[in-house]
Amino acid sequence: MAMKIVSLFLLFIFQFRLSLSGQMSSMESVPDLQKSMYMVVDGFPCVRLVNLSGEIGCSNPGRDKVVAPIIKYKNTTELAQPSAILLSMDDVQGFFSRISNDSSFARNVGGVLVESGVEIQHKLKGFSPAQKFPQAEFSPYHNTTYEWNPIGSGIMWKSYNFPVFLLSESSTSTLQEIAMKNEKTERAYTTNVAEFDVVMQTTKVGTHDSESCLKEETCLPLGGYSRKKMSFANRSDVYSYGDITILLRGGMLRGGSVWSALPPIDRLSSNQSKPIILAVASMDAQSFFRDKSLGADSPISGMISLLAAVDALSHVDGLDDLNRQLVFLVFTGEAWGYLGSRRFLLELDQQSDAVHGLKSTLMHLVMEIGSTGRGLNQGNKTFFAHTEVSSASNETLDALKLAQESLKSDGVTISTANSSNPGVPPSSMMAFLRKNSSTSGIVLEDFDTIFANKFYHSHLDDSANINSSAIVAAASLVARTLYVLASDNKNLTSSALSAINVNASLVEELISCMLDCNPGLSCELVKSYISTTNTCPNHYVGVVLGEPSSTPHPNQVDDISRFVWNFLADRTSTPKGDTSVCSQDCGKKGGVCIRAETDGKGVCVISTTRYVPAYSTRLKFDSGTWQLLPPNSSDPMGMLDPVWTESNWNTIGLRVYTVQDAAYDRLVLLGGITVTVLAYLAILLTRAYITKALKQD
Amino acid sequence: MTVAAGIGYALVALGPSLALFVSVISKKPFLILTLLSSTLVWLISLIILSGIWRAFLPLNSATWWPFAILLFTSVAFQEGLRLLFWKVYKRLEDIMDAFADRVSKPRLYLTDKMQIALAGGLGHGVAHAVFFCLSLLTPAFGPATYFVDRCSQIPFFLVSAIIALAFVMVHTFSMVIAFNSYAEGNKVDQLFVPVVHLAAGMMTLINFASGGCIVGIPLLYLMAILTLMHCGRMVSRRLTENHRQGSS
Repeated sequence: MAMKIVSLFLLFIFQFRLSLSGQMSSMESVPDLQKSMYMVVDGFPCVRLVNLSGEIGCSNPGRDKVVAPIIKYKNTTELAQPSAILLSMDDVQGFFSRISNDSSFARNVGGVLVESGVEIQHKLKGFSPAQKFPQAEFSPYHNTTYEWNPIGSGIMWKSYNFPVFLLSESSTSTLQEIAMKNEKTERAYTTNVAEFDVVMQTTKVGTHDSESCLKEETCLPLGGYSRKKMSFANRSDVYSYGDITILLRGGMLRGGSVWSALPPIDRLSSNQSKPIILAVASMDAQSFFRDKSLGADSPISGMISLLAAVDALSHVDGLDDLNRQLVFLVFTGEAWGYLGSRRFLLELDQQSDAVHGLKSTLMHLVMEIGSTGRGLNQGNKTFFAHTEVSSASNETLDALKLAQESLKSDGVTISTANSSNPGVPPSSMMAFLRKNSSTSGIVLEDFDTIFANKFYHSHLDDSANINSSAIVAAASLVARTLYVLASDNKNLTSSALSAINVNASLVEELISCMLDCNPGLSCELVKSYISTTNTCPNHYVGVVLGEPSSTPHPNQVDDISRFVWNFLADRTSTPKGDTSVCSQDCGKKGGVCIRAETDGKGVCVISTTRYVPAYSTRLKFDSGTWQLLPPNSSDPMGMLDPVWTESNWNTIGLRVYTVQDAAYDRLVLLGGITVTVLAYLAILLTRAYITKALKQD
Repeated sequence: MTVAAGIGYALVALGPSLALFVSVISKKPFLILTLLSSTLVWLISLIILSGIWRAFLPLNSATWWPFAILLFTSVAFQEGLRLLFWKVYKRLEDIMDAFADRVSKPRLYLTDKMQIALAGGLGHGVAHAVFFCLSLLTPAFGPATYFVDRCSQIPFFLVSAIIALAFVMVHTFSMVIAFNSYAEGNKVDQLFVPVVHLAAGMMTLINFASGGCIVGIPLLYLMAILTLMHCGRMVSRRLTENHRQGSS
């Protein structure tokens, strides 16, 4: 008997080729096993935003996680049960329109996963989840049906009761494999599911408008004073953020609009009556997915043009002797109701500390630099000057023409925008014009009648969507125009103009720092001013936490604002080279501390550079909570302000794992019980048999 | 996989042991003590083995022969400990018999001795099941399940529970065979236990191959049933011999 067993055993050993190809993933403990069972997926969520009348964005429908099997979307897809839909970018528009039309289909959408990838981007001709006329309610003219953004589908302005994630490139291929495995069903009793954890506090508590959620403290207002970072498993650059009463708030960062004067305004001098030329840009972007808001063309290309122009002008001598004062202003929060510009104008009226040195009566004209990154057309760089029909901005147009003349050899052209346009495109200028319709202003853009940016306010508006030579050209145009305007035709020579040159490598560097992940915010330029642990830049405005002030502590300001502040302070400082180590009396002699994070105590330079808080004029921070102010007829834009807030949340996560059918689980339980009962019966029988055998006489 | 499946896996691995405990072991306190001490001895043997093997870890999982050496040394050590366990038990048995004589109570019956052996074996088996199956079962109570590449038809937790059940059977009944063979001086049976233990251990190496568990697990159960049958035959032989002795 034993020999038979041994021979059988040997037979099997030899017949069976031990194929040991492929390395087993080494697991050394039960937590390792747990980790390999649940795969955490990298992605960018869409979150819940609330305004005075309702909600937009995405969230889990209740307090629980959503678990749904993963299905790849095709036009013919029919859903039998709540599912997690894997969507490719070209199907996004069709999918969301199907959601709004087909309620039975929409009921079975448990969650959405959007694919991403470089090939996908090249295939798409355009994608914009924004409206066709963004922020039309703030326009200073009546034609609000004009389509500045005809590609706009408006999908980010609707409310969805399911979570939506944008997958990273690596996760996209993983999830495509998993969806295929689900289709093939090699094991009938298992499915691969996605578990979404996007539980929003406003949904949990039931506060579906800004007023109630601010009162219940389940949301925070949008503003450039705070960047809320999300808790996302395995992301090293995010922290947890949650309900004040239950959890600690994570590292809230604040930012704000930044303004700087060139040359620095002498605080002590009483002669502060030089008319001011205001050059404006904005630094916040928007997208369906909050953490992937790059805004390369709209508006960061404009901001980069402005920063490069400041750099070019900083090398010009004799700015002190010019008739007018140049002031540069970079707003944040513009995409969410022109928060930065409206708050700036309010602070200007109130003559607060943040705007000390500026007076609204001294504002001579405003020049806004909008999107400039797509101005390249067959080797020529063309830009358009948009102005309000009734304002007298001939002076600016003449200055632009002079600058264009000096740049003729570079193929730069500037034209006035089409007269059939209803007015200025969506821009901070709208806020200036609403405040004072006689403001002399111009908006410089790379488009004429409709946006040239085919990815306006989407996550695809990245560095591949812009051209650095267009930005350089715009910066040169702006720098020379500002010089012409500031000199007010006094001793203006063409040699002086042609001496103003923009550093193209600076523009390249700014693009790679602000719009790419590699090197991103760890690039040399940024690292020389601020220290940050993030590398991937993100231009979403964030939320305001706590009391906004004009002198925030540097470690409470977000990275981009800090960088812009340091950069402007450095470039507008005079005299060059006269620096000292920062000390208490730096501020007293009209200076500011730059490079405070990277260079010991920092360097004290003479510069007029300040932060301005950016949040809605309808909100007031009072005794620890946000109060909604009633509409005030002296603030017409405030009456139209939707007062955007962002819901709080505990954690946001996305996991994928395999589940067994409930029937199989029950079968296993039954099996276990059966084995136990059978064993018990066998033991009883054996015992009875032995007792009987022993009793036999 | 949820709580139902988790409990199911635990019952597959330890249900029969539980049944045995409830019906036989729990009735006599001495058996419970024997079970606990043999569990402890088995766990200590594992600790000592892991201490010795620590220097050679982690083993390269692409080849199977380091694991074969590991199994061989572990089985050899545990069989050695079994002999030691037997010697300690023999001394205890002598003490208990002497005590029984003093208080004029009957000595240990054959069935008592077999029950003690059974309890000892069950202790080993339960320790194996707890250590190699139950300790891994915590993730099984969550919503997800897990499949190993090389055995992709059956959930991992089910495989480990089934293997644990086989080893419970092997350990429990081979202790009865071992104690009996040491008492009788039967060399063949004395060799039978280590050989079967080693063979059962080596069978699990077949799981290294892709799809190997479909072959390895039935073979393992073959070993377990072999042990069970051999034990049954031996027990019935001894009991009838004893009975004949007693009645003659």
